[in-house]
Amino acid sequence: MNLNEESLQKIAELSRLKIDPKDIQNFLTDFNKVLNYVDTITELNVSSVSDEDLYPNEGNSVRPDKAKEGLSRSQIESFAPSFQNGYFVVPKVIET
Amino acid sequence: MKELWKLKYSDIKKGLNSGEFTPTDLAQSLISRIEAEDSKIKAFLSWEKESILKAAAESTERRKSGKPLSEFDGIPIGVKDNICIENTITSCASKILENYRSPFHATAIEKLLAKGFVLIPRANMDEFAMGSSTENSAYQVTKNPFDTARIPGGSSGGSAAAVAASFVPVALGSDTGGSVRQPASLCGIYGLKPTYGTVSRYGLVAYASSLDQIGPLSKDIDGIIDVYSVISGKDQRDATSKNIPAFDPSKVKELPWKGLKIGKMKITSEIEPDVAKAYESLLAELESKGAQLIDLDFSLLSNSIPIYYIIATAECSSNLSRFDGIRFGQRKDPSGKLDDLYVTSRSEGFGKEVQRRILLGTFSLSAGYYDAYYGRAQKARVLIKKEYEGYFSKVDLILQPTSPTTAFKVGEKTSDPIQMYKADILTTSVNLAGVPAMSVPIGTDSKGLPIGLQITAPALHEDKIFGFAKMISDWASKVELPETIK
Repeated sequence: MNLNEESLQKIAELSRLKIDPKDIQNFLTDFNKVLNYVDTITELNVSSVSDEDLYPNEGNSVRPDKAKEGLSRSQIESFAPSFQNGYFVVPKVIET
Repeated sequence: MKELWKLKYSDIKKGLNSGEFTPTDLAQSLISRIEAEDSKIKAFLSWEKESILKAAAESTERRKSGKPLSEFDGIPIGVKDNICIENTITSCASKILENYRSPFHATAIEKLLAKGFVLIPRANMDEFAMGSSTENSAYQVTKNPFDTARIPGGSSGGSAAAVAASFVPVALGSDTGGSVRQPASLCGIYGLKPTYGTVSRYGLVAYASSLDQIGPLSKDIDGIIDVYSVISGKDQRDATSKNIPAFDPSKVKELPWKGLKIGKMKITSEIEPDVAKAYESLLAELESKGAQLIDLDFSLLSNSIPIYYIIATAECSSNLSRFDGIRFGQRKDPSGKLDDLYVTSRSEGFGKEVQRRILLGTFSLSAGYYDAYYGRAQKARVLIKKEYEGYFSKVDLILQPTSPTTAFKVGEKTSDPIQMYKADILTTSVNLAGVPAMSVPIGTDSKGLPIGLQITAPALHEDKIFGFAKMISDWASKVELPETIK
């Protein structure tokens, strides 16, 4: 199958990515090449695979329910792009 | 002082344990080698001389006082830039994590430090481990030490080139679809993709969580066995970690040639003639020693690249959604609006190949396409697993070339994503099935470029791979690495 520019822009929006307008044609060409390549799997017969095969019950992996020390506030501050008084700073999302 | 950098892993270990030289002597020799030659290879994104010498000095002290942490104390190890080391930049060769200093160690790193290994980060890679040539790094292209006009393979190309160029005796990489084995093959060294779940992924920046696995690269088999025995074993912090103890090196035993059943593949047009020749001569040698060769039908596995790309990109679109400019990494805030912050931080922070894979993953997970692509790929993956189970009911090991070609030229495949993806055509199915496989050098082509053999075993049977690799070590030792870099 082939995607058109509109569909690619929709996927980009869902991915929180913006494709530079000057790159869009190249991106679309490459993307469609890849899509046509992976399209071969639509011809594979997978009817023999059951849901049990797909989600085998291997049990859960659980840890003891014990409180442990996590990262300190100063460690978080050291890698956060913007951090104030113990909070990550984000742009205003609610208009007052 | 002897040029210690020339020594292979096993000689380094011997020399340190006999007291022939100290960890500091060794670190200084490797540093001078890196300083002299890495400008031609570009294996490392950055490295801190002081911290390497400090760790080596501490190890020297421990050895002097008769209290080494282990027989490995003082052995230097290169680390790929997607494995977290506390207070060290872990950028995944990306712009978006350019200044990210990890606040914690990956479990594999903790285990290496507990045994006294000296860490040499940050080996270059394809951005977020996405690529087959180390040309997708946001910073630099790593070159193949055999021919600097060529690529070292990817995505652990920095780790592989660092070992091949004698900057480090052993290194850590990560393998999602062949990213340890393919560069090991193109750089003439050993590289292991362990059974999924045997090495903790805690602290490995995720690309595709159900496929990723940390693995060692080394010039000799002992380096692989030792590092794997140190980093493997159950980790409470990784829910996919198998409930097994660390690998016991005493389990490695040479296998009996007579009656050894080896699965082989039919040579297709995708395999370069020199690669096919090296592979077939090895098979003939094995047969003459009493091994039984059994033809396997790999027709289903030929679909593994499309299956791999759908599953891997779906997981990558989810894993990389955490890079949003809010909590860590690069932040671009052009208009003061939250959506713009996300979009601009990600669009400027991720390279083109990463963006292409995020888009493909978002596409295959989106409503309307999920059943046809992602759902179907998951079912096809089950068939691949069953296919391997079928093979291993008939054979002990499967042998294939690791890569269909030897190292290609820088820039040769960058304009065509499909050609680049096909570099991993023989390795991806191993990750889909979760079984272990290792690349071993078996020869060179007419240009003197290395050729690797992929040895695949049933899950949790790394011992068979290592035993077999030891049996063919004479063959592997025919591949001489260049002493000087062209």
